[in-house]
Order: sequence, then C-alpha cells, then structure tokens
Amino acid sequence: MATAIDSIGNRAGAAAGAILRRLDPAVIGTILAAFFALPIIALIVLAMSGDSEYLDHIASTRLTEFSTKSAQLAIMSGALAATIGVGCAWLVTRYEFAGRRALSWLLILPLAMPGYVAAYSWYAITAPGSKFEAASGWDLPTVSGISGAAFIFALTLYPYVYLLSRNAMEAHGRLSWDIARSLGAGSWRAFRQITLPMIWPAAAAGTALVIMEVLADYGVADFLGVSTLTVGIVRAWSSFSDPAAAAQLAVLLLFGALLALGAERTARGRRQFASTGASDTQLSPRSQLTGWRSALVASLAMLPIALGLLIPAGNLAWLAINTRPSGSVLPALQGTLLLAIGSAVLAVLLGLTAAYVLRSGNRLARASVRLLQAGYAVPGAVAAIAILSALAIGQSVLNALSGAQAAILTGGSIVALLLAYQSRFAAVAILPSEAALVKVRPELDEAARSLGASPMRVVTKIHLPLVLTGLATAGLLVAIEVMKELPATMILRPFSLDTLAVTAHNYASDERLAQAALPALILIAICVPATALLNLVRPNA
Amino acid sequence: MTNRFALGLVLAPLVVLGACSQEAETSDDTLVIYSSRHYDSDYALYEAFTEATGVEVEVVEADGDLLIERVKADGDSNPPDVIITVDSGRLWKADQEGLFASTSSDILNQRVPASMRHPDGHWYGISSRARVLVYAKDRVQASDLTGYESLADPKFGGRVCARSSGNIYNISLLSALIARWGEERAQDWASKVAGNFARDPQGGDSDQIRAVAAGECDVALVNSYYYARMALGTDDDVSNVAVYWPEADPGVHVNISGAGVAANARNPELAKQFIEFAVSDEAQKLFPELTSEYPIVASVTYDNAVLEELGTFKADPLDGTTIGSRQEEAQRLFDRAGWP
Repeated sequence: MATAIDSIGNRAGAAAGAILRRLDPAVIGTILAAFFALPIIALIVLAMSGDSEYLDHIASTRLTEFSTKSAQLAIMSGALAATIGVGCAWLVTRYEFAGRRALSWLLILPLAMPGYVAAYSWYAITAPGSKFEAASGWDLPTVSGISGAAFIFALTLYPYVYLLSRNAMEAHGRLSWDIARSLGAGSWRAFRQITLPMIWPAAAAGTALVIMEVLADYGVADFLGVSTLTVGIVRAWSSFSDPAAAAQLAVLLLFGALLALGAERTARGRRQFASTGASDTQLSPRSQLTGWRSALVASLAMLPIALGLLIPAGNLAWLAINTRPSGSVLPALQGTLLLAIGSAVLAVLLGLTAAYVLRSGNRLARASVRLLQAGYAVPGAVAAIAILSALAIGQSVLNALSGAQAAILTGGSIVALLLAYQSRFAAVAILPSEAALVKVRPELDEAARSLGASPMRVVTKIHLPLVLTGLATAGLLVAIEVMKELPATMILRPFSLDTLAVTAHNYASDERLAQAALPALILIAICVPATALLNLVRPNA
Repeated sequence: MTNRFALGLVLAPLVVLGACSQEAETSDDTLVIYSSRHYDSDYALYEAFTEATGVEVEVVEADGDLLIERVKADGDSNPPDVIITVDSGRLWKADQEGLFASTSSDILNQRVPASMRHPDGHWYGISSRARVLVYAKDRVQASDLTGYESLADPKFGGRVCARSSGNIYNISLLSALIARWGEERAQDWASKVAGNFARDPQGGDSDQIRAVAAGECDVALVNSYYYARMALGTDDDVSNVAVYWPEADPGVHVNISGAGVAANARNPELAKQFIEFAVSDEAQKLFPELTSEYPIVASVTYDNAVLEELGTFKADPLDGTTIGSRQEEAQRLFDRAGWP
C-alpha cells in the first residue's frame, strides 16, 4: 500500500517535474504579473466608473498646485537621493579611509527608517519652541514644507540608489577606471566617462524607486504641509467620499510613474554592460587616504546615516525612555514579521519570473510587467481600495458560480494583504532581479539550449546561481517595505493581526509621539538586521 | 557570500511562514468592535465592560475613513457588532453607507442629549471635544477675541496658525459655520483666515499650540483635548498659552465621538448593552480622566485639574447630521478659499 502511494506520488512528481521542465519561465512571469496587476486594472475600471464632478472642482481650484508640488518634490527628492547615493557608493568603493568597511554597510541602514516616523521626529526636533532648540539655544530651520519633505525622503530613501550603485561599482571592478587613469584621464573625468556610464542603469533604477515612493507618499507630505497630488487623492476620498475620483487622480500618478520608469529605461538606453570576463571584476586596491583627508571622507559618509537614522531614532529613544509603554507590542511584532516574510517569498518568485519576461517576453507581456511596476507610485490607500473592489468583483463571480457566500475573497484576509503588497512593491522586487539578469549574457542561454537543456534547466543550472544575489536583494527590500507599509495594511489586515507600523501610526496620528516611539523603534530595530543582510548579498563579497 | 547561503535566505522564510499562519477564530459570545479611536480611556472602557458582563471584546482599530471602507467591503462575512468613530462627519458618512442599525434604548435616549445622537438611534455620542482658540497671554488680550470670526480679523494678519483643510476637525467646523452664517460668509471667513496665516499649515493640533507657545504665531485653532493633554503633561510648557471659548451665538463647535450598532451585527443585543455601558457614570468619567475629553453625559463628575480650570462653556447645539452632510461643501469652500 505504502509503496503504491509512493509510486503514485513519484509518478505525479515526475509528471509535475516534466511540466515544470517544459514551462518557459517567461510564461509563468506573464501569468504572475497579470495576476498581481489585477488591482491596477481594477483601479482603472474604478476611475472610469465615476463622474467628473470632483475633477472639475479640483481642476478649477488646486490641481495645478497639486501637480506642480508633486513634480517638484519628486525631482528634488530624486536628485538629492541620487547625489547622496552615488556619492557615498563612490567614496566607499574608490577610497580606503578610517571606518570604511563599517560605513560601507552602515550606509544602507537609513532604509530602516519609515519616512513618516522620520518626519514626525525631525519636526519635533526643529519646530519652533522644540525642547532641543530651547536646550541648545540654536535656531534650526524647521523641517517642513517642500524642502523639508525632500530632506526626509532623500535621507530615508537614498539607500536604494546607494545599494544598487555600490553593487554595480563592485561588480564592474575598478580596473576600467584604473586603466582610464593610467591613460591620463583625470579622476573626475574617469568617474564621469567610465564609472558613471557603467553604474548608470543601477543608479537610474534606484532613483526611479525613490521617485515612485515619493509620488505615492501621503503621510510625510500631509504632515509637513506639502499639497501633493496624493494629498488631493486622499482628500477626494476622505472629504468627498468619492473613491472613483481618488482613482482618477491615482491614474494620473500612474502616468507619472510610467514616465519615471520610461526615463529610467531611456537613461539606461542601449548601453548594456554585460560582464566582459573575469578580469574585469578583479579589484585593484582602493586609494589610501590618511590624516585629515581620511577623517573628512569618513565624516562625509557618516552624515547621511546620522541625519537619516541616528538623530531621528535617537530622539525617539529619548522619548521612549521617558514614557510608560501602553500595552504589549509583541503581537504587533509577530504580525509584522509574518507579513514581511510571506511577502519576501512572493517577491522573489515574482521578481525572478518578471525579470525573465522583461528579458525575453513578448511586447504585451513586457507591458504588463511595466504596468505592475508603476503600481509602486499608487498611494497605498488607493491600492487598498482598488484591491477591495477587485476582490468584490471576484467574490461576486465566485458567489454566482457556487450559488452561495464563498467567503474566501473578502477583504481583511492575509491573502488580500499579500496581494496588495505585491502589486504595490512589485517594482522593488523586479528591478534588482532584472538588474541581475541583465548581466547574464544571452549567449549563455543559447549555448545551453543548443546542448539540449530545457528552459527550466537553463534557469536552475545557469541563471539561478548567477542571479541569486539580485533575488535575495529583491526579497529583503520587499520585506523592509512591507514592514514599513501603512495604509494598505490598515485597511486590509485581518482584525486579529496588528503590525508595528499600524501601532506606531495610531499613536502618532493622535499626536502622541512619545507613545509611538517604542513600536517605531522596534520596527526600526527589526528593519536594521534586514538591511544589514542586504550587505551580505553582494557580488564578490 | 556563497550561493547556498543566498538560497537558504530565500527558502528559510517558507518554513517560518508555515509555522505561524493561523488565524484566530471569533466565538459567538465575543463582542466585535471596530474603532477609529485608540486611547487609554477606551481600553479601560473595554476592560470595565468585560469585567462587568464577562463578555470578551475584540477590537479592530483603523483610521476613520479606512474603517468605513473596510466595513463596507466586508459585507456579511466578517461583521463588527459596534462601530466607534471620531467626528460627526465620519458618523454621518458611515450612516450614509448604511453601516449602522437602528437601536432604541430608553437609557441612551435619556442620557445622551438629542443633538449628540442620531434621530433614529443609528449612533450615539460617547464623548466630545471642543474646537477652541488658543492665544499667547503676553501678546493677545482675551478682549481682542470675539469668536471664530476673530481669526479673520485684519489685526491678526500674519499671526494665525491652523492645520490643513483636509483635517476632519476643520472640515466639521466649517460645516457648522456654513450652517451658522451661510455659504458666502463662511467662504469669506475661510479666505481671510488663510490670508492671516503666520505659516503654511503643517503638523497637528499640538504643533499649533507649540507654535503659539514658541511665539511663531499668536492665535491658533485647536481641539480642547490637545491643550488639556499638554497642560496636564510635563513634556511641553504651555503656561503662556490660554484657551478662549468662541461662545458667540450659537456657541462653541463640538466634535463628537460616537458609537452605533453595526447593521450586520451578530450580537446586536450585546452591542446595545455595550453602548449603554459606555454612557454609564462609571464609563463616562474615563473619557475626561484618561483622555481629557468631555463626557457626553453632563452630570458626570470626574477628576481632571485642567478641564476643571477651563470651566464650563456654551456648546453649539447644532446636530451631527447637519454638520456631517456639509462635509463636501466645506472642503470645496476651503479649496476655493486657498486654505491648503
């Protein structure tokens, strides 16, 4: 009996294996991308279902202001984050200075700081009459308005640019730069003409992520008083009870995101830097800095960490010490970890397969992946409403089919939440995977295929080992994003599930920053090891 | 890093995920409450209710608007018994979406003033906050202030602070002012206030109070309970900040927090029992004592030094439904008035 079952199992396994072997990863990717793009399609449907009353009102009053502010904020934050990210990546790969090794990975940590937490904390430090200003006697410029928001975004999001640029610089080695230098090019010229073009795809991908996240943000912009398009979107819904109008404006944002992605593609252009061989990744020694130069570069590299993480977190820690905690944060911690881990697994699957679609899929498949990536710029609250309406449609179809209440699709389930995360953070999952896969030369596939390997075998034996680092990066980035995510979690979570971000936000929105400090700090504390892991996942390490 | 390590990193979460993916089941004798409030007074209320009745309470917390969308979307499959939300605007919106069931209770009708409950018993106020003016004692005389209209007074040019117009407390106040003055005068008021701003609206109500204390502005529009909380606490020095009651006819605008029996409640009787408990003397004193809000039942005695010092005030008796139904109009006026 047992052997019979075993043999059935074996046969089933073999059959599944056979199907798997014959499957083209690009096909799986297309299916997955289409599935996770459902909420975005639902969003567009929702947008078309409404009338134009709110749009007319907003067009005649504040639409220009909303759009201009959004564009300004995105450009300012993107430029600042790119400068910090590429600059720091350059310092730690090019020079040897005191504390370089530590700084090289510490520089990623500000990614652990949720933007809204940084905004609350910095505002509390710099607002007129703050305790800090009273104690120090300094009159700091208040972190508010559009420049304050750009400051917050750049310092909490630059690690995207830094991480991808640093990995690209390390992967491409310093040899080409050294050759350029030995041929008489100045340091700046070598950077501009050799290094920059090589890391351009990575830096552009990182900056695109920053810009999309800025476009989708509500918390920071609202708190610091920047009237962005997202603020208008949330108001369409909160003040006008008009989800369709919110969806219409969100579609505008989608176009903005597609523009950012398009710009990123154009920036990358046809320059594809597949590795030319082992010699290219050989590292020549970094330029040794000593004395004041070493100290100067070290403090330069320290600055973003201090501004993005240490100062705002230190302020929170100081608040938390002086406050009696209300209630246990343990359930919230469990909830956060559960969602983060589940999403990381899905992100890896999605990232890998979608990267294939982009590499070898047809035009339609590639378009669906691009649409999915643009979902990153959809504000979380709008994404959640879109998912609720997508689920409602699915539910009614299911009900009609089964003739009963099939209560599987309704909102407030972990499944809905995981779906929401993937459609929101697909860009984060796909970009690192894609960047990794780009480096695998197509000739490799052809060679393997010509030797009779199935597409799936090419994936497992050739691609997977080469792109694992990109995949692990994707999984970790999505896990960190999910831990920090707020609006979609609030609306879609099952009521037995609390998360640290939600707990912290509940207190912060009541203007009780001191009570919000503890869950926020724990959130930062678990994001820190996740960001630190990102450092292990790097080429040549 | 070895590839095996990266593979482990990718696969390990699957194991953890399998180990902790179970959802709690709600039993029949549990009361499910969806609330957009998250205050110590409410936690004490739930605890006291469980102690008094033996009924376990499950609470879902979410922001007001999210909460409404969520209840709407859930339909029949996962219903709350009680819905609690802040501000008459949101209560009205939830009611428009059909989220409340009609409840009749002599206890509730007796204890909750008519302007603070739905005419057909869809929701009942449980606590309130007043929208007041705060001013710097050394730079403003109380006699310079006459009511909300003072914020539009040219003598306060460049001296006024308020939060953004998307905030529901501001929207509800303007809704009440539209009912009071008519649309034209209300919009004129909003544009003049926006013209008097000392800075672009930013932060929450507490931040407006801090700005007055720090001298960045002289008058600000805030909710009473933020002031009381700061005055009671030790983190902020508000000794130079005073509260002005804008009592000019018909009185101070009041924000209500309310509770209603959910339309699809599994335990409507328990839900009603809970709301009745929330307006009992025992429960009502929790709101002023733990959250510095005003109780909905005026006769309740409580212990809160700051609220005592502020004394009593004349509240605008305008009903919640009128305030709620004008939300959209109010936001339009704000947009046209250029109040960011």
